[in-house]
Amino acid sequence: MTTLQAALSGALVGGMFAVMAAGLSLTWGMLRVINLAHFGLILVGAYLTFELATSWGLDPILTIVVTVPLMFLVGAGLQWAFDRLGVEGFASLLVSFGLLIIVMQTVSNVWSADFQRMEGDVNPYATGSVSIGRFVFPAPTLIAFVFAVVIVVAADQVLRRTFAGRALRAFAEDRAVASAFGIDHRRLGMVLAGLSAASAAVAGMLFALGNAVTPSTPFEWIGIVFAVVILGGIGQVGGVLLAGVLVGTLSAVVSATWSPALSPLVLFSAIILALLFRPHGLLTPASRGAR
Amino acid sequence: MMARGLGGFALVFAVLAALAVWREDLGLPIFYLVLASTALFWIAQATSWNVLSGYSGYFSFGQGAFVGVGAYTTAVLGGRHGVDFYLTVPVAAVFSALLALLVGALAFRLRSFRGEIFALLTLAVPFILAALARVNSEIDGGQGVIVPVAEYPDWLAQFQDFLYLLNLVVAVAAVAAAFAIQHTRFGWALASIRDAEDVAEGLGVATFRYKMLAIAVTGLIGGAAGSLFALQIGFVTVESVFGLTIPLFVIVMSVLGGRTHWVGPVLGAVVIVLIQDRLSASGFEGWNLIVLGAILAVLVVVAPDGLQARLWRRPWQAAVALVAVTGVLAVVDSWGGPLDWFVAGVLAAVAVVLWPGRARAPVAAERRPAAAPVAPEEAAGAVPVAADAEPGEVLVECRDVAKYFGGVRALDGVSLRIRAGELVGLVGPNGSGKTTLVNLLSGALRPTSGSIAVAGRDIVGLAPHRIAHVGVSRTHQIPKPFESMTVRDNVAMAIMFGRSPRPLAGAREEAEACLDVVHLRHLADAKPAEINLHERQLLEMARAIATKPKVLLLDEALAGLNPAEIDAAVAVVRRIHATGITIVIVEHLLRVVNQLATRVVVLNQGALLADGDPRTVMNDPDVIRAYLGRHAHARGT
Repeated sequence: MTTLQAALSGALVGGMFAVMAAGLSLTWGMLRVINLAHFGLILVGAYLTFELATSWGLDPILTIVVTVPLMFLVGAGLQWAFDRLGVEGFASLLVSFGLLIIVMQTVSNVWSADFQRMEGDVNPYATGSVSIGRFVFPAPTLIAFVFAVVIVVAADQVLRRTFAGRALRAFAEDRAVASAFGIDHRRLGMVLAGLSAASAAVAGMLFALGNAVTPSTPFEWIGIVFAVVILGGIGQVGGVLLAGVLVGTLSAVVSATWSPALSPLVLFSAIILALLFRPHGLLTPASRGAR
Repeated sequence: MMARGLGGFALVFAVLAALAVWREDLGLPIFYLVLASTALFWIAQATSWNVLSGYSGYFSFGQGAFVGVGAYTTAVLGGRHGVDFYLTVPVAAVFSALLALLVGALAFRLRSFRGEIFALLTLAVPFILAALARVNSEIDGGQGVIVPVAEYPDWLAQFQDFLYLLNLVVAVAAVAAAFAIQHTRFGWALASIRDAEDVAEGLGVATFRYKMLAIAVTGLIGGAAGSLFALQIGFVTVESVFGLTIPLFVIVMSVLGGRTHWVGPVLGAVVIVLIQDRLSASGFEGWNLIVLGAILAVLVVVAPDGLQARLWRRPWQAAVALVAVTGVLAVVDSWGGPLDWFVAGVLAAVAVVLWPGRARAPVAAERRPAAAPVAPEEAAGAVPVAADAEPGEVLVECRDVAKYFGGVRALDGVSLRIRAGELVGLVGPNGSGKTTLVNLLSGALRPTSGSIAVAGRDIVGLAPHRIAHVGVSRTHQIPKPFESMTVRDNVAMAIMFGRSPRPLAGAREEAEACLDVVHLRHLADAKPAEINLHERQLLEMARAIATKPKVLLLDEALAGLNPAEIDAAVAVVRRIHATGITIVIVEHLLRVVNQLATRVVVLNQGALLADGDPRTVMNDPDVIRAYLGRHAHARGT
């Protein structure tokens, strides 16, 4: 019973990891930019939500009206710079590692290294919960899961059905040919990176809704979120949601049955196994790797 | 070279050690030794990281794991079980090396683990260890472990002198090891893995073994230095070792200093430690990591090769900048202390070294001598081929070989015998399985079923480097030279790791002979980036014959060449064949195949379509149909 409750809650928490991972997975798969700074954007998103809710009295969820456009511009600008400087693949991993460290330290200088949490008076969602039968779900994780489904389904549909989405997929598959067919990858790349950063703003809001943040919180995300990206298959948004739910469930069940401290151990062991046997994602058979 | 270098390290060690032993007599403030101690710790760490990640190109984010295992070994053994500190250091090093081997055994098994995936895998390792340490109260249990202060000899004035000496020992040993690795076969193997791993494996480099050795060395040094780190901080917590600070520091240091040379991490560590120290001393503690992150981001874009290579080009300018800036500040004496002046001088020197220089391409073009004239009778192909008269024993035997990719049957039921001395032309339309067959023979792919024997030895399942040692060598359709090495060293590599390996000096001499065969000797000192496609393809051949193969597989070695270049390449293939090497040539140009081959094998849709002497095969109606379509054949008859 408690295990089942833990599994269901974990699955919902996995939704938040899916939101964090979606943008990362798309820029990696489509633009070959492995953007560790994405975690920095999530962190800033969480702090901005905290700041806007606490100082301005904005509803925490509504803060994304401010943070999403802001992050879109930051993400698009960053991609513009990466593109101009030819930063991609491994170089992007290193450059964005540097940027992540800069962001984390700056956040620490601005908001101090202490925990920050939205109090109950500004965050009406913190203590709410929904009961279905005998199971209880905290409102923040439920909200996160709803956002995850909406974002992932929307992204998936855009990539499948719109011209821009198809153009992006063609570009990811073969750049030279796609360019020859007149695909303006620069602009598309900036839009994609902008949207990915916008999703980071949402992820930050979702995290701040149910958790306290410190400047070093991104270290807790990196492992799990990369696990979700790789398990889901790099560049595959649909896989991200599945992998997020899987990872969330696994880690919650381990925490509930053994010990919270053991959950990273089991999780990362599972990732290593997955990397060994399914290096291109759970949904892709090992013999059919794209690269 | 090696003896002199190691002698140099002994001298440096003696001088630096003397600073601690006679520190009070020299009147050196302890502060400088503490700073030097920090620098030495990071030199050891950055060097440790660089042996694997710099030399072989496998970037690791997991340096914290090795430091952590080292630190916890010393802390737990010393603090909880009362083991003598000196004993814990080697134990820490060995534990850390064992962990490294475990990581390597997992990660290096898969070829797709290169690059980003390997980096992310190593990112996960410290997280796992941190979880283990937190849970296990025998190790940490979430409270941290106190490290007892070690006894130090009474000829040292303070504990800090002792720490400095310990760090000095480990750092000098680490740098000497990196120096030694760089100047032996080991280092060459790692460089070839960095440049083109598959090619290196195909030329006879046991890449898996060398990668395991490299990661073990990384673990060994990282663990030993981590053990000292425990003594230095006195209280080991999960956060102090398993975070991302340690990997960040070693990566920034090595990228700044330069990753392909043993000096790189030393330079990088010294510069970074000085900057960090001055920032903290001037009250900019909160800016330390920001500066570090910015250095990394800017460097990767502006100067990804780091300080070392550029310093070698502008040593005097750098020295002048260092002395001038330090000197002027000392004379003016209006700001800071001696260390500030020196750090300002170092930064000036770094700026001078990293300043973008003029493009060097024209110089390379000027340096390039004209090609040696090809003897006319050779170009015309008049050299008699001794071997085609009497084929010898069976050298390659494929029995019922099949290779499926998912549902696609690239090859199905191909049986083929190649005798010593033959020059077999392997032809067929696109997608007929020619390159797949070459990949199966060289071991790059494994057949789905069937057997392949070379010189009587079953090669199915052997690692490509073992197959190279049996006597199979190949070229690649798109040439893949080792970009960091000269043309001569590209060939010397193949000799050093080939069927009759020789040490570097001898291999370089012998390489000239191989370059003669392909008429590339005049470009021996050029870098691969400076030569054209034709010359790169000739280099591929020179490298392939340098392993002294029995069978040479030429995979579309003439693709993209102009007619004159094709004639020259044909002459080269003849010359190679005349030295007694059996050749299988995959080629689209039937003119070339007819001219060269003693026998032609035609593949179509993964099956053997025809096999025989060139004239018969080319007139075979099935072959004509496969090449030109059913219709063309019908009209022809």
